[in-house]
Amino acid sequence: MYWVSVVTEAGIFAILALGLDVIWGWSGDFDLAFYGYLALGSYLTFVLTIGKPKPPVEYILGYHLPVVLAIVLAMVVVVGLAAIIGAIALRNLRDIYFAVTTLGAVSALYLLVENYTPLFDGYNGVYGLINPGQTALNLTYNGYRIAFLVVVLVLLFLAYLLVQRLSRSPFGRMLRSVREDERASAAYGRRVFGAKYRAYLFGAALAGLTGGLFAIFISAFNPSAWTPQELLVIYAAILVGGRGNPRGVILGVFVVYIGFIELTRYLPSPASRPDFGPAMRQILIGLMIILMLRFRPEGLFRERPGLDRYPIENGAPIPASQRPAAPPGLRSEERGTSERATREGGASKAGRRRAGKTERAGG
Amino acid sequence: MSTALLEIEDLTKSFGGVHAVRNCTFSVPEGQVTGLIGPNGAGKSTVVDLVSGFGRPDSGRVTFAGEPIIGKRPDVISRLGLIRTFQTPREWRHLTVMDNVLLARRRFADESLWRSITRARRIRRAEEAERAAVRDILDRFQLAGLKNELAVRLSGGQKRLLEFARMAAAEARLIILDEPMGGVNPVLGARIGEAVRQFAAEGRTVVVVEHNLPFIEKTCHQVVVMDLGEVIAQGPFSGLRDTPRVVDAYLGMDQSHE
Repeated sequence: MYWVSVVTEAGIFAILALGLDVIWGWSGDFDLAFYGYLALGSYLTFVLTIGKPKPPVEYILGYHLPVVLAIVLAMVVVVGLAAIIGAIALRNLRDIYFAVTTLGAVSALYLLVENYTPLFDGYNGVYGLINPGQTALNLTYNGYRIAFLVVVLVLLFLAYLLVQRLSRSPFGRMLRSVREDERASAAYGRRVFGAKYRAYLFGAALAGLTGGLFAIFISAFNPSAWTPQELLVIYAAILVGGRGNPRGVILGVFVVYIGFIELTRYLPSPASRPDFGPAMRQILIGLMIILMLRFRPEGLFRERPGLDRYPIENGAPIPASQRPAAPPGLRSEERGTSERATREGGASKAGRRRAGKTERAGG
Repeated sequence: MSTALLEIEDLTKSFGGVHAVRNCTFSVPEGQVTGLIGPNGAGKSTVVDLVSGFGRPDSGRVTFAGEPIIGKRPDVISRLGLIRTFQTPREWRHLTVMDNVLLARRRFADESLWRSITRARRIRRAEEAERAAVRDILDRFQLAGLKNELAVRLSGGQKRLLEFARMAAAEARLIILDEPMGGVNPVLGARIGEAVRQFAAEGRTVVVVEHNLPFIEKTCHQVVVMDLGEVIAQGPFSGLRDTPRVVDAYLGMDQSHE
């Protein structure tokens, strides 16, 4: 059952990462408020399903809604919050200014939730959503956890299909053009803010869904569940898997969650140093980010541009004198790889070496 | 003379204490190539920015096809049919050459988030025709063999050609080129000149900011000369040598370079 729980958690975070990748990978906005959307989605799913609070516990709403309806409502509210934060942060702010503004927004939300107890009972948080529908479905506890895993994986698959479809669509192409050069995009008629805003709300909706699933998964939620570190692990996973590539992002989440967070539990943990395991985990994730940036900055799966399959040879004939200089023998994969290396790795030696190689080959 | 497609009246813009553009007034006749020349710092690029919505003038009016466009966002002006380039080619670096030109086709309706989800198949089918058109354009600019390359891999000259391929794909009514010959070798320069003349032959209106006077002389129907933010002359190139202020400000200096 331990592994069922591990895979469920990774599946939930994979949906979250798909949403974040639309914002960071395609649109290019390093959003630090993102985990707040998961948290809000999670809190709302609780207070919409677990009924009235019993004093001294206090929280808002306290309804007994069906859990699916609660998650949908939570998503709506989360998108509403993202609409406010995005409207402020995305209009003129970019790069570090955008990141700092979203960090400010999520910090304000965090402090509000932690200190204003009538909202979600402050630091104690909310709890009590234990296996909703288990009796109705007549499942054992373990059977329920397996069924929930299946639900999560199905939702992950649907989210993947959706994101993949968007990735290949004109919308995805337009969004990436905004990431690459928004002034050029504006010069060609794209409303930059509108494009980024739509991507932001789409990502936030997936975060809201993830929050609901997370609520069912852990059946209790309080401020310690959404510290800023959690989001950095998601960013690390996207980086490892391949920013901008939905398949890579899912793989990255599984690699990071199973490879680093769960397997490190088997590290020896001396009784005198109970924090050895968690500390080691952080170090390993940091090391992994450094190694990835050094040796494979584009991630395990690099972002794949849609290729035009129409054979070049069958096109209109090009006079020999006007033929472009690039040799057809060079594999496009190699070029893309070296390019991402120079872009993401910056001054990395490997990137420069590989870029140099292709440049020479490219003539 | 044909009617004016773009009319600029009393355009003024200062940055701090610097008057970048002062009471600038000129008009661009439809279907012609207008050269905008002047020494560095004359305010040419600022005028381009103000006209295309990338900057807000302090005062003045700009009408494009009879519609006032000052205060409109760049994307709105672009959708009216005015496309501009920048001094350096601004290709979308990590998109393929094909995607770069497809984006310039500007099929905005298909870029809706909702339609991209619900009408994916129909959009993909419609795009096949677009791709065929783009292949022809890439062919015209000797980029057909590079269509699946990331734009960032292109050489400087190829990036210029890609810029022109995007322009051709955009089918704009007014094209504003900001120094298209910057850092371009003579062979490529000739090709760019041809491309500009072809735009004109297709009935598009072109404004070209350029320092290369032989190119201006060969390509432009009329020339607007700016200096210190003001328009100091406007008319056919041949008449400029007789205008003392133009010779002082620009021609005299530039001829010593040739």
